[in-house]
Amino acid sequence: MAAESAKTVTTVEPDLDFIKALKKSGGDTLKKCMQCANCSVACPLAPDSKPFPRKEMIWAGWGLKDKLAANPDVWLCHQCNDCSLYCPRGAKPGDVLAAIRNMAIRENAFPKFLGNIVAEKKYLPLLFIVPAVLFFLILSVTGHLNIPAGEVVFSKLLPVMYVDTVFVPTAFLMAFFAFKGVMNFWKSLVDADAKQGTKRYLTPPLPHFVKMYILPVVSDILTHVRFKKCGSNRDRYTAHLGIFYGFVGLFIVTNVVMVGHYIFHIDTPFSMVGPVKLLANFSAIILFIGTTLVIRNRMADADDPGASGSSYSDWSLLWVIYAVTITGILSQVLRLSGIAVLAYPMYFAHLLCVFCLFIYLPYSKLAHLLYRTTAMVYAKYTGRD
Amino acid sequence: MDKKYGVYICTGCGIGDALDIERLSKLPQKEYNVEICKTHGFCCGPEGVDLIKKDIEGEGVNAIIVAGCSPRVNQDVFDFGSDKIVERVNLREQVVWCHDLAPVEAGEDAEASEAESALKEGVNLHTQFIAEDYLRMGIVKAQKSELPEPYLLETVSKKILVMGGGISGLTAAIEAANTGYEVTLVEKESSLGGYAAKLRKQIPMSNPFTDLQAPIIQEKIKAVESHPKIEIKTNTVVARIAGEPGDFTVTLKAPGETIEFDVPQLVTQTHDEEGKELTKEQTDELYNELNKGRADILTFDPNGEKFGAVILATGWKPYDASEFENLGFGKYQNVITNVMMEELAANGRITRPSDGKEAKSVVFIQNPNGDDDSDFPFASSVTSLVALKQAKYVREDSSDAKAYVIYQHMRTPGLYENFYKSMQQDDGIFLTKGKVSSITEEGDGSLAVEVDDNLLGEKIRINVDMAVLATGMVPTTKDDAIVNLAYRQGPGFRDIGQFDGYADSNFICFPYETQRTGIYAAGCVRQTLTMADCVEDATGAALKAIQCVESVNRGVAVHPRSGDLTYPDFFFQRCTQCKRCTEECPFGALDDDEKGTPKPNPARCRRCGTCMGACPERIINFADYSIDMIGSMIKAIEGPTEDDYDPVPLRVIVLVGENDAYPAIDMAGMNRLKYSPYVRFIPVRCLGSVNTVWIKDALSSGLDGILLLGCQFGDDYQCHFVKGSELCDRRMENVAETLKSLALEPERVELKQVSITDYDKIPEIINKFVEAIDEVGPNPFKGF
Repeated sequence: MAAESAKTVTTVEPDLDFIKALKKSGGDTLKKCMQCANCSVACPLAPDSKPFPRKEMIWAGWGLKDKLAANPDVWLCHQCNDCSLYCPRGAKPGDVLAAIRNMAIRENAFPKFLGNIVAEKKYLPLLFIVPAVLFFLILSVTGHLNIPAGEVVFSKLLPVMYVDTVFVPTAFLMAFFAFKGVMNFWKSLVDADAKQGTKRYLTPPLPHFVKMYILPVVSDILTHVRFKKCGSNRDRYTAHLGIFYGFVGLFIVTNVVMVGHYIFHIDTPFSMVGPVKLLANFSAIILFIGTTLVIRNRMADADDPGASGSSYSDWSLLWVIYAVTITGILSQVLRLSGIAVLAYPMYFAHLLCVFCLFIYLPYSKLAHLLYRTTAMVYAKYTGRD
Repeated sequence: MDKKYGVYICTGCGIGDALDIERLSKLPQKEYNVEICKTHGFCCGPEGVDLIKKDIEGEGVNAIIVAGCSPRVNQDVFDFGSDKIVERVNLREQVVWCHDLAPVEAGEDAEASEAESALKEGVNLHTQFIAEDYLRMGIVKAQKSELPEPYLLETVSKKILVMGGGISGLTAAIEAANTGYEVTLVEKESSLGGYAAKLRKQIPMSNPFTDLQAPIIQEKIKAVESHPKIEIKTNTVVARIAGEPGDFTVTLKAPGETIEFDVPQLVTQTHDEEGKELTKEQTDELYNELNKGRADILTFDPNGEKFGAVILATGWKPYDASEFENLGFGKYQNVITNVMMEELAANGRITRPSDGKEAKSVVFIQNPNGDDDSDFPFASSVTSLVALKQAKYVREDSSDAKAYVIYQHMRTPGLYENFYKSMQQDDGIFLTKGKVSSITEEGDGSLAVEVDDNLLGEKIRINVDMAVLATGMVPTTKDDAIVNLAYRQGPGFRDIGQFDGYADSNFICFPYETQRTGIYAAGCVRQTLTMADCVEDATGAALKAIQCVESVNRGVAVHPRSGDLTYPDFFFQRCTQCKRCTEECPFGALDDDEKGTPKPNPARCRRCGTCMGACPERIINFADYSIDMIGSMIKAIEGPTEDDYDPVPLRVIVLVGENDAYPAIDMAGMNRLKYSPYVRFIPVRCLGSVNTVWIKDALSSGLDGILLLGCQFGDDYQCHFVKGSELCDRRMENVAETLKSLALEPERVELKQVSITDYDKIPEIINKFVEAIDEVGPNPFKGF
């Protein structure tokens, strides 16, 4: 039995607290799984070898936190919920995997305490109060704590320089934290495979790596090709596409504005019929439509076994995005209407929401942007996908 | 009995259109001198029945032959009282519904076509022949039938003996006593309750089947103790049960005592040291030596108590786990069995045997580390459920405890699925299919358990305080007779290679009925069962025991031929003491004396006729089923001769088992499946009752082949009489030898197994056999 003894043995120690935590964060059905593997058969995305979500379900049921944190598969899942629809036990693997992802975001977070704060409902007010106070301080210190007179121009309230002195360093810091999180995750993936003896030891040079593994993933994301394979929840594809391209559009607009401001010294507001403004408004509209659709879908009949259950992390992100979108649109409407007394506070609220959305990105559900992309690259890299 | 015959031919259901009824109705008078033969378009209707009743009253008809539908239907309609003989000729299902009705084409068979011209227009010649043969056989059968008289015992005891004071025994006692019967309950331990009294909690017994429940045994014990009709005898076992149902003489004794009326044991040795087969004398000597000081089975204990029926509820004992040293049992103190675990749990918090430390993590192992995935011997759904239950105990004791269940098979049938779900959903119960590949002890007495081929996708090690082996529940009848019957065939149930020591008689059809009439098994001695199932089982067995005493009281068979008044009648003057009947009786009904003369115990008998089939002297017969009757029916078949036809059409008889094959043939008819017209069916009670002389009768009267249709044998045999068709198959091997010596082809006799559901295969079986006989050619004895 040489082959037998060569098999590595993993000591497992179920973590009861972890099971409780998973159940609390949206995976309350996880113990209903009886390992029939209908889910893995139903899943349009699972690879042929060691398909998810069957194995993730037993790891979750056994409270094997480490196995799940170092698992790329939970991120390959796009939560179409075909699995939940066909689950004979109502174990809702789709929701359990979402809960596992929440846990993975928290587990890989850097610094850890931020991950914990963002994940806990009770800290929600704090998340908004801290930046709000910060902004008020800046306004009061710079003497802008008033409604500027004359035509509504937002830079009168908060000159671009002030905005950027806060936003840009924060952005860099968050980018660094996000990078640390991603690297934590990548390392845990590599380590887990090393333990199983399936690690890839040859790392290709970076350009090759980008070409072979990153670009195809970017292409997959841009086309939403994996999302499209979902059976039972096709409307989520459209909704997510709206949000995704809304953000892409606004990202382009933001960069154009930055470049315009610092290099060409062209200041906002831009012409309403100019290409930048058109793109901005178009993006805002599809973002609004996309978010509305997602919220509507999540509010739809909870008894539908194929519908996603929604946890705190789902709702908090959605409402923040919605708030960003609505305050942005209203800011513009109010500005054009010339109602300064409403327009400036609205703009303030908009900035606050945008700030929160991005500052908490590595810790909120939005972190799927980082981890799912990483997992997809890893899957390509290891030939899993 | 002076018989006055009346033949009534029904022309309904298509019979009248398909046959030349006029010619058929002349047959009784012409061939059998039976004057009364009437036809009616609707015999089973009020008018038809009146027609018969009028003849019974007016003409004194007392042997009624109804030619129409199958004897399996309208039995109540054609019941004219126990003082009449009624024979049914199956013209519908087995003639007109399954054979060609159109006339033979002239071009096809000119001779037959010409012969047909004598018949009513449009009638098929062969079909008419079948109907005529069946009518002949029906009349002959009525001629050979006698009115049965019940076998009545001088005195009948209706007292019921319940063996075993566990959940099943207690329930059976209560149920029987509540119905009004006197019950004596014997228990070998000093207190009642059995294993059911040694539990912490029970697997749920009622809806929604999700949570453990408090044991119910104390209520049962109280009910039994306070019941005026139940006598309790603890510290008591059965030394022997002699006699027959309704009149059992039972000797009770204290466990371990040696008394004169201890039951004689059988000699198991068959060969001497040199490997030579023991002679009869040597065996007898060994028997006498073995049973020195014990009264012979035919000597009844004068102080014995009388009982009518026995409920055997002696339950189970734990499987000896010492062979599982590979799993650490016997080597590590913290590896225990499920029975030991239950004891620990019943005594309070679960602690490790090694140091009394609380067991916070426990693994439940459901299968030995063998080469295959088989479970522990005698494991079952109950051991699966118990593992789940005990896992819950661990969790009840401490909220941070962990219980692992490693299984190859998790069996939670029926609504126990709810229990499985409920246990599975406990946060601290971890289930996986898997194989325990090793258990090693750590320094502090805890165990490292390695589990391979599991659902987690890699070989895992779990560290636990304790391991529990789900060893099986062995029926008490496995190695011990327990019932201690003073029967010639031995004190226990014969091992027929089907039940692994469980006291059962049929793999599916007859729960409670053992291979011994009057002994009804309930609970875990019969099959491993949960408490809820034991309660149900015991209730069933109690009803069966009541059915038994009441049937014996009326002198009728208990089962499966419930109500049958006939029983085997021995013509002892011609008995050669060959003992075949005693040995072959599937139910041990016969006890031969020293000389070997059988002593029939009709109340033990199930009326299968296996003795009749076994007897070389043909001295065993029933009132309405005899060697002579079937032989005469065979001879009544009109074999066509060369004078009439060339080539002569074949004639094949089919001896058909009544329980499976006969209904299957009826169903083939109902489905209008057609088959060869050259066969004639004769129902038999069981192929075990087929006497080889009938084969001789058939061949000597010029019939070309004999097909025997019996029940399935093998693991899922369907026989009502243990192994009748298999026994017949063995006898036919001898027949084949005899045929060869007579220069007859052994292919002329064949046995086929038919399940009741095999109706669609009937035409193929029959046609193939007829084709085979056609190839062999006609019987050379034809016309002699």
